[in-house]
Amino acid sequence: MRGRWLRLSLAVPVALVTLAVFAQSSAASVGVGVQVGPVRLGTVAHRGESYSLPRLYVVNTGTEAEAVSVRVERLSHGPGLVVPPSWISGTGPAVQLAPGGSARIPLELAVPEHAHPGGYLSDIIVTGSPAGAASTAHIGVAAATKLEFSVSSAPAQASTALISPWMWWVLIGLLVAAVTILGARRFGLRIRIERESPHRPAAGQGDSRG
Amino acid sequence: MAARNWWIIFIVVLGLILVFLLFTNRPAPAASNGASIAISLKTVPTIRSITVSPSTASFSNCTGGDSSLDTASTSTELGYPNGHCWDGDPSGSFPIKIKYKGPPGQVFVSSSNAVPGSGGSQWSLCSSANACSGPHDLPGTDQYMVKNFGAGRNSSTGLTGSPTCDHEFGQQGCSATSGQSQTEGVELIGPQDSGNTSTSWTVTITWGAAPAP
Repeated sequence: MRGRWLRLSLAVPVALVTLAVFAQSSAASVGVGVQVGPVRLGTVAHRGESYSLPRLYVVNTGTEAEAVSVRVERLSHGPGLVVPPSWISGTGPAVQLAPGGSARIPLELAVPEHAHPGGYLSDIIVTGSPAGAASTAHIGVAAATKLEFSVSSAPAQASTALISPWMWWVLIGLLVAAVTILGARRFGLRIRIERESPHRPAAGQGDSRG
Repeated sequence: MAARNWWIIFIVVLGLILVFLLFTNRPAPAASNGASIAISLKTVPTIRSITVSPSTASFSNCTGGDSSLDTASTSTELGYPNGHCWDGDPSGSFPIKIKYKGPPGQVFVSSSNAVPGSGGSQWSLCSSANACSGPHDLPGTDQYMVKNFGAGRNSSTGLTGSPTCDHEFGQQGCSATSGQSQTEGVELIGPQDSGNTSTSWTVTITWGAAPAP
């Protein structure tokens, strides 16, 4: 009789724990979201240059922590050249998101010298994988948003790239000084600068002594 | 004049004063305190997302294989050649729920190579797009196939490694609107033979949300 009660008292908690674990696992979900607005470069890109793209907003819509990774692939239809994945790099560390957590992922665009000019269109795909999932079939989730930019046919202007704005101001200042000096000489203008010594006696006082 | 008349006059005057006070003390609705109304506003969603539950899945109900070679499937183990395993049942069990949120878009699905638990060579995906090398268009050595199915729909010709339209998701192809959900199941067809002796394998099936084409 005692053994029966013991078995019953053990079986009930075990059943409750099993039920709780099962209920939790069946309710668990994995999810990811990404900004609807496309990622666009604000200016026209030039070959051989690198640009920081607007940060990409991602959010974990599931109930489990997940690792988020970013890749570039063409899903969208429409005009535009395909963006080679090697042109885009995530400049930050791998992102781990808690349930409901979000992040803004920095991205960088590096346009090679041999890039074709024109409009480019691809998709940025954010993939979320549950951390530490152990089963025969992993469930992955992904969300995509468009990536758009244009590459100019003109090369990047070397002069603007080599000379910084403050150097332009120095050059303008030197030019103004040179023009002023040359003009003064041409019109016979002389500017004489004298310094009056505080210890030199006044002219009137000297005369009265003599 | 009688005292009674005086009383009547007194009461009338008192009444007039009361009425006057009542009207003058009444708060002017717009001028003094102001009034406000709350107007609700809805905005379009700025996030496109997909959520899948449960977060893990397992294959079971495995069939096929060759008992004469001692490689027949068991209920939870895939057999050779070309055993079948299921997560769900096309006849009425769809354990995986996919929910889309955001502006109208589409749902895509893809799979990965099967990765052995002990390392080494993987099984690659084959489908109608990436031909299977086994007999009767079944997966050959180190190949496998994954198909998804939904309620009343089992048209998948096999998932590929690239994101492709999930035709099982909606009535109109894979187009999706906010809040739309679908339940699906997955069928796996194993290789004719495996060059890897591992007995534990993992496949990843990914559902995704994308802008409308």
